[in-house]
Amino acid sequence: MNNIRSISEKSPVNPDKWVGRYGDYLYRYTLVRVRDVAAAEDIVQETFLAALNSYKNYQGRSSEKTWLTGILKHKIVDYFRNKTKEALYHDTNTLSFAPEDFFNRKGQWKIKPVKWNADPQKLIEQQEFMKVLHDCLSQLSQRHANAFILREIIGEKVKEICKTLDITPTNCWVILYRARMYLRRCLEKSWFTDETYEETS
Amino acid sequence: MNHWMFNCRKVTRMVSDSLDHKLPLYQRFGIRIHLMMCKFCSRYRDQLLLMRKIIGPKMDKKETNLSIKLSSKARERIKRLMQNNRNEVS
Repeated sequence: MNNIRSISEKSPVNPDKWVGRYGDYLYRYTLVRVRDVAAAEDIVQETFLAALNSYKNYQGRSSEKTWLTGILKHKIVDYFRNKTKEALYHDTNTLSFAPEDFFNRKGQWKIKPVKWNADPQKLIEQQEFMKVLHDCLSQLSQRHANAFILREIIGEKVKEICKTLDITPTNCWVILYRARMYLRRCLEKSWFTDETYEETS
Repeated sequence: MNHWMFNCRKVTRMVSDSLDHKLPLYQRFGIRIHLMMCKFCSRYRDQLLLMRKIIGPKMDKKETNLSIKLSSKARERIKRLMQNNRNEVS
């Protein structure tokens, strides 16, 4: 206990109180994005442990809560990235990655979007769908996947993503465009339509 | 569909951009006209919006959200791990 007291005296940061103060908040933040209780608990745990290792560098420029949330976001991205590493690399050749490939020289659709048969409310609940999403994410480059996860899954502002990935806004928009184009096609192929249906004209 | 103002390739890029920042008026106007006439770009737009709805943070009503709490088991485990971790460091 002496040891703990001496740390808390030196700095206003008090790790003893983190779990009590921010545990529920961070857990909630994670669960609505990851949608898996066990995974969310693990992510929160990793966040606190990582924070414990780095709080001496914490300058107090942001609030404790903001600082911890920042670490948490990285852990959530890692979670989706690690998941994607586990997913098998298959079908990579059958899907085009460059948005340009979806269009002909006149800029008209070559690989046309297909009608999706899905009830969004039901999908949100389905673990199977999350698996397909992980699988599709696994086929993106790290940079595209990170930008996409931060933007669409975590709901981060583009400005923050630019800072995190150290890129310009225009660059970020292009990356997100490519990632979205690819993922919508991947989900379309693996989830929303039957495999036999393919429009190429 | 090849509209006089924007072709599908450009429209898809702008629709994607519109999810990230506000577009200039002429682009918003151009997109709207294009979407009225182009079934595939409309579908593309709907898909991006649906995708966001499905995979984005699943926010319920505030009250429901606040009832989500870290289980006491996980809470204790985390506290214990943090304590061990700090003892090791010291």
